[in-house]
Amino acid sequence: MIEGNEAVRIQKTLAIAATTALLAVTSACGSEDDGGDSKGGGPEKADLVVWLNGADTPQPARDWLKKTFEDQNPGSTLTIEQQEWEGLVERLTTALTSADQTPDVVEVGNTQAPTFTTVGAFSDLTGDLADLGGDDLLPGFVDGATVDGKTFAVPYYAGSTYVFYRKDLFEDAGITAVPTSMTEFVDAATKLKQKSGKADFSGYWLPGKDWRDGAALLWDAGGDFAAPDGDGWKGTLSTPESIAGLTAFQDLYDAASGAPADANEADPVTPFCAGKIGMMSRPGWVYGMLTDPKSGCPKLAEKVGVFALPGSNGGPAPVLLGGSDIAISAKSPNQDLSRKVLELMVSEDYQKILAEAGLTPARESFASMLGDDEFAQATVEAASNAKLTPAAAAWATVEGKFVLEDLYSEIAQGGDVAELAAEADDTITAELN
Amino acid sequence: MARRTSLPVRIGADLVGIVVFLACVFPVYWMVSRSFLPRNRIKGEDPVFVPTGGTLDNYRRVFSDGSFTDALVTSLTVTLLTVGVALLFAFLAAVAVSRFRFRGRRTFILTLLVIQMIPAEALFISQYKMLDGMSLLNSVIGLTIVYVASVLPFTVWTLRGFVDGVPRELEEAAMMDGCSRTGAFFKVTLPLLAPGLVATGVFAFIQAWNEFTLAVVVMTDPDKKTLPVWLVAFTDSRSRGVDWGAIMASSTLITIPVIIFFLVVQRRMVSGITAGAVKG
Amino acid sequence: MARGTARRSHLPLGLVLPAALALGLALGYPLVRQVVLSLQEFGLAQQFGQAPEWIGLGNYRELLGNGELWPVVLRTVAFCFVNAGLTFAIGLGLALLMTRMSKVTRVLTQCGLLLAWAMPVVAAMTVWQFLFDTEYGVVNWLLTALGGDFDGHSWLLDPWSFFLVATLVVVWMSVPFVAFTLYAALTQVPEDVVEAAQIDGAGPRQRFVHVVLPSIRPVLLVVVLLQVIWDLRVFTQIYTLQKAGGVSKDTNLLGTYVYTLGIKGGDFGMAASAAMFMLLLTVVLTAPYVRMMLRQERDA
Repeated sequence: MIEGNEAVRIQKTLAIAATTALLAVTSACGSEDDGGDSKGGGPEKADLVVWLNGADTPQPARDWLKKTFEDQNPGSTLTIEQQEWEGLVERLTTALTSADQTPDVVEVGNTQAPTFTTVGAFSDLTGDLADLGGDDLLPGFVDGATVDGKTFAVPYYAGSTYVFYRKDLFEDAGITAVPTSMTEFVDAATKLKQKSGKADFSGYWLPGKDWRDGAALLWDAGGDFAAPDGDGWKGTLSTPESIAGLTAFQDLYDAASGAPADANEADPVTPFCAGKIGMMSRPGWVYGMLTDPKSGCPKLAEKVGVFALPGSNGGPAPVLLGGSDIAISAKSPNQDLSRKVLELMVSEDYQKILAEAGLTPARESFASMLGDDEFAQATVEAASNAKLTPAAAAWATVEGKFVLEDLYSEIAQGGDVAELAAEADDTITAELN
Repeated sequence: MARRTSLPVRIGADLVGIVVFLACVFPVYWMVSRSFLPRNRIKGEDPVFVPTGGTLDNYRRVFSDGSFTDALVTSLTVTLLTVGVALLFAFLAAVAVSRFRFRGRRTFILTLLVIQMIPAEALFISQYKMLDGMSLLNSVIGLTIVYVASVLPFTVWTLRGFVDGVPRELEEAAMMDGCSRTGAFFKVTLPLLAPGLVATGVFAFIQAWNEFTLAVVVMTDPDKKTLPVWLVAFTDSRSRGVDWGAIMASSTLITIPVIIFFLVVQRRMVSGITAGAVKG
Repeated sequence: MARGTARRSHLPLGLVLPAALALGLALGYPLVRQVVLSLQEFGLAQQFGQAPEWIGLGNYRELLGNGELWPVVLRTVAFCFVNAGLTFAIGLGLALLMTRMSKVTRVLTQCGLLLAWAMPVVAAMTVWQFLFDTEYGVVNWLLTALGGDFDGHSWLLDPWSFFLVATLVVVWMSVPFVAFTLYAALTQVPEDVVEAAQIDGAGPRQRFVHVVLPSIRPVLLVVVLLQVIWDLRVFTQIYTLQKAGGVSKDTNLLGTYVYTLGIKGGDFGMAASAAMFMLLLTVVLTAPYVRMMLRQERDA
């Protein structure tokens, strides 16, 4: 044991040093309260940073954006920093609060956008909507990013799944025409499965956790996940329409899917190339993987045809519309220049590059840019009746907690639909309010 | 410890060792062998046990944009700094805690323990705010500070156990032989601590090398990503799907420096032990 | 034990100072903020600058009252003890065996352990998913080839089976650390002391209990304690397996629960209070053990 004055003095010094260090840190970090309501402005020349996620934006689009922006704004530069979808919410949650490090323009998943709109992370774009395309912008996306009449993000690109089918298996099963209604579609799926006689074959590939494609059946039956209720939201999976939709999912899974009840939709290529899939709903890029001899199976891919999932009422079924939004960080000091970047990113020239890469453009009038082959037609048709998840601010929480994966997986396992739906309703209502 | 082992015991131990080796290595083998397969052979009805007719495509893709080298440099710098600083600080503290009794000692030990108990998933946002306040985002120094602090509690505790394990009598004996206390410590105790320093050093290295939760928010600048953050680029892409081949190839590459580090320190430390033994 | 002179008496503080400063610098503010957050209504809006509201113990009340927590706690504690126990038993056994192996096998075993330890977590989890995949998993393939009916068996579907796989993965990842550290501690036991005991006629068991064990005890205790702490906060393995299959709500442990509250749920106040709760739980669970450790060192 140390005795004596010396020790006491050292201890005091130590304590003071530690406290000062702590205080210095605390005060340095205390300046977090200058609200996120920057209204335009900023310097005329600056170095802008744009965050794009994954490799989804093709390189020519990046080059065009950088060059065009720098040409139009001499003295300014634009840097695209590629971020990954994995960990994106964490990154945005932190980086958008830092006046120092915030990117100026960010891409965010369209279902993630509502999380950030209500909290002041993005700049208000309501006044700029007209310059960015106005009513021509994909309306579902704009609605999803609008709170109390203010819009905080605009669509970047969209994408939805359509049905891939094996023409040869259709022939073998005696199916002569592509299904044009939900009933015909279910029939075809069932027939394909019966024809194969194998337990792990999917007439229609529907892994149990694939709520995103399961949503189409829910919506087609008139149901939905949640609806506004007074000031808040309410889970609506227990309505008769929703129950019908979820039951349709269970029936279809039982009758036609050979995918595991607890699998997700991440890897369609392996079962497809193993010859275990008759039909599947997937985004267009999957075709590229199927035809690539290193990743897929070109021989089977030759026999693939595509169509938009048909609905019960004549048109295409309401499928889930995925895609990305773009927004400006409220903390960015370069609000005016950032708006110019946004304008470029929804411009005809830029969107055309995206469309050539198979991404559905952000404006309705650009749809024709996709071309007119079989795939483009399926894309356009599927998108024409596509729907989004409820525009509740806390919706991302429902997804984040895997509420829907759990629900659909348990239904696929043969659970009681009404009971599971009621339980999920409680969770959703609790999360959204 | 007793080196005289009877033959049957040794054979038994060897057999268990081989089983353990296989159990440990199988997943690693699976990673390395998958890294040489094209995507459509990685997963399939019949597993491919030997990657015959393999390909280097995965590695080519991993190296294609040069970002690997940037990430490697960042990771190496952060990790080596962390290991060096943490081991030094922890060693000093462990000696103090183990060989001296002083006021605040218990508080210090208990604080270290409690710090270990807080989930990192809950802390990283506050740590981000802190680094932001210190203007140390996207900085090797900032990340190192947090890493040092996160491996310190463990290293101090473990090293302290190792220091405790060296009988004081040995030091005292050396002192009787005319060594000063410090001299006795460096000549007798330190060499005996070598295995402990290697074990904690390897631990600190692997912790810092593989850390993801904090690095993913702190290092947003593409040139400053650490290897684990860089790696997730292959796990998740809307337009490509999961690129398993690239994950396996890059993970194989990420594993190699750890092995090298281990081999280097192992050799150094083993020679250190013998040197100490001869002198002591 | 005032063995030092006055000149030396400030030495220990000097030795502790760098570590204490580093910890204070890197963790002081986050820890304080953690406590503060747990007493506030602090969501994403507050993260982006709205003034947080003090709600006292409101978060804690909600946490303890919503019925989700206790099953998670029970699961976590059970999972922790099973995993820490298994890891420790295997690790210690292996460390002891390593002292008996021929040199070649020992190096081989060490290399194997190191490889398993060094493998990046993302890769390890991907490979384990491959191995236990329902349709294309090597495990199912092997068991089927051996005559079992495992074609299309979902390992992650049933919570018990889910935790079986999780245990396998967690133990596989943690044994190397325990085995390495304990083996290092064993090699540190001075050979002449053991030999002296042997000359005095002590048998192998006596030598282990009276010579080896006391000498490695400090490290042993630390390793057990740390293993318990780490297994209580296990996160990545569970989270990845949840994404791969199974039903999340039946398989949440505290680590994943805190994460879903904070980042996924955007409620940082709740997440902070859950983290504080975890801290408290860990303290309570390990208190007898820690007291034992501290008492022992007073005797020493």
